[in-house]
Amino acid sequence: MELNAVHREIPPRIDGYGDTSGKLFEGAFARHPSGYRSGARMRSFTPNSGSKLSGSIKDAIKASGLKSGMTISFHHHLRNGDYVVNQVIKSCAELGIGDLTIFPTALFEVHKGIIPYIKSGVVSRIMGSVNGAIGRLVSEGGLGSPVVLRSHGGRPRAVISGDVHIDVAFIAAPTADRAGNISGQMGSAACGSIGYAFTDAEYADVVVAITDNLQSYPISPVSISGIFVDLVAVTDFIGDPAGIVSGTTRVTRDPLRLLIAKYASRLIEASPYFMDGISFQTGAGGIPLAVTSFMREAMKRRDIRASFGLGGITGYFVDLMKEGLVQKLMDVQSFDLEAARSIASNPDHIEISADWYANPWNCGAAVNMLDVVILGATEVDVDFNANVNTEADGALLHGIGGHQDTAAGAKLTIIAQPLTRGRIPCVVDRVHTVTTPGDVVDAIVTEFGVTINPKRIDLLDACVDFAASREIPLIPMDELAAKAKSMCGAMEPIRTTDRVVAIVEWRDGTVIDIVRQLEKQVS
Amino acid sequence: MESMDFKTSQAGTLESMDCLVTVTGPSDVRIIEVSGGSASRFRTAIELKVNEVLDGMGCDAGVRVTVQDNGAFGVVLGARVEAAFARYRGGALS
Repeated sequence: MELNAVHREIPPRIDGYGDTSGKLFEGAFARHPSGYRSGARMRSFTPNSGSKLSGSIKDAIKASGLKSGMTISFHHHLRNGDYVVNQVIKSCAELGIGDLTIFPTALFEVHKGIIPYIKSGVVSRIMGSVNGAIGRLVSEGGLGSPVVLRSHGGRPRAVISGDVHIDVAFIAAPTADRAGNISGQMGSAACGSIGYAFTDAEYADVVVAITDNLQSYPISPVSISGIFVDLVAVTDFIGDPAGIVSGTTRVTRDPLRLLIAKYASRLIEASPYFMDGISFQTGAGGIPLAVTSFMREAMKRRDIRASFGLGGITGYFVDLMKEGLVQKLMDVQSFDLEAARSIASNPDHIEISADWYANPWNCGAAVNMLDVVILGATEVDVDFNANVNTEADGALLHGIGGHQDTAAGAKLTIIAQPLTRGRIPCVVDRVHTVTTPGDVVDAIVTEFGVTINPKRIDLLDACVDFAASREIPLIPMDELAAKAKSMCGAMEPIRTTDRVVAIVEWRDGTVIDIVRQLEKQVS
Repeated sequence: MESMDFKTSQAGTLESMDCLVTVTGPSDVRIIEVSGGSASRFRTAIELKVNEVLDGMGCDAGVRVTVQDNGAFGVVLGARVEAAFARYRGGALS
């Protein structure tokens, strides 16, 4: 076993993944690309090519040339309302196609419909985030090969660099035309941005748009051009609107979480980045939204306007833009109805691809322009390493999302969370799984105050100066960890077997950690 | 077969950071069952706390104690076990 740069033992070879020598995590910015971009198969569509339209998903699969053993991709903008993944996998099974590698940006609870097809061998490998029931199945050893987890930026990097080759991309298309132009902004399954699907469209050998809203050519606006799209399958419904976008995203009303948000917003205000033109990403969680709310007050008080908000965009961010407090929104995923409506109507609300958003190996990832990001984590450790993948019982239940990318890109990365969840401590001596290395985490904020990474003496000084005007309690990491330990008591170790069920790749494609199979079923 | 008088009492809730403790008896021996979110990492600590409270209350009869945990800290668990066993025994809490 070799140790990587975050002191994790990585086996030299992992069945179903390959050799890890030369692929061990070396540091957040240790690796750089070389060579040339990978590419998709060349193809053309002539006046004599006939029609791209298929009357069903099954016909489109037949026309795509999909065969057993191939890799197929999906995007997750329809979230828990998605019908496409389940329909495609079921159709593959009916066509006798099996041993598939699926390469989704994420799977949700709704996709537990594919579990019978995992068990029957139609799906033999998953590269992508697994949540809920599929995560638990994987944790307990129910998948033959380990899941490969990549961040939102690591995934397009893997495709563009040739680590992953997509044979057929299936793109859920809330609106499409007969030439294959796609938009996520109209139709009953409108989801706003479809940024995660862009790279798949450009780099897959065959691209199948699946739509329930076929409009006359050409649609406008166009998110993904028909120049990349081979086939358009028309089906009755691609998703359930109720599961696609939530009606509203709400700021937490829990006093404890509000206190944490207040401390986090004070840390931001104390930092050197709180000035005109600040940029930030806050996601859709209760605490980050509350931080945004406090920042709104502080921005008004100090007459500051933000240059842009990034990432998954909520109606809350849309309101900030309407108020003139944020000038632009860069949106890879629209979380709610307000965000989906805004991206369809406001040119300052920009749809961006996952490549543009977060790929470490391009020349313009938006995360690198980010001043502040507020993140959460299942747990962090005394070295500031963060785990977002495994739960307290060791089960694999969450994807990486943009955690690694924004932490690496932002000038100030804050993890804001309560010190305990129930009796489970969120600050521990050693996280079960390292998702994001402590090197790129600047501060932990809990109800006990702000804990600054000792590498950021500048931030510590800024907080001390700021404390003269507003209370900003500082608590060193060793004290915070001791407090968690005294509140929760000693935890029993997680019992695992030697078998690796998931590989956590750092955004540059190196192995930052592995997840092992749980020893017994968790009750 | 002679019928036995089973008795059940409860204390607690299934709210977050609480637990529901059920004491049932009589039982041949003391049985402690633990389920819930923290069970995988705190089973031993929970069992120790249940035994500590029952022993402290002079419980020498066999009972079955079921802890449905939703993240209770040790002090909360202890209070719930004390209340549930006091109700089971029939005495009022002082």
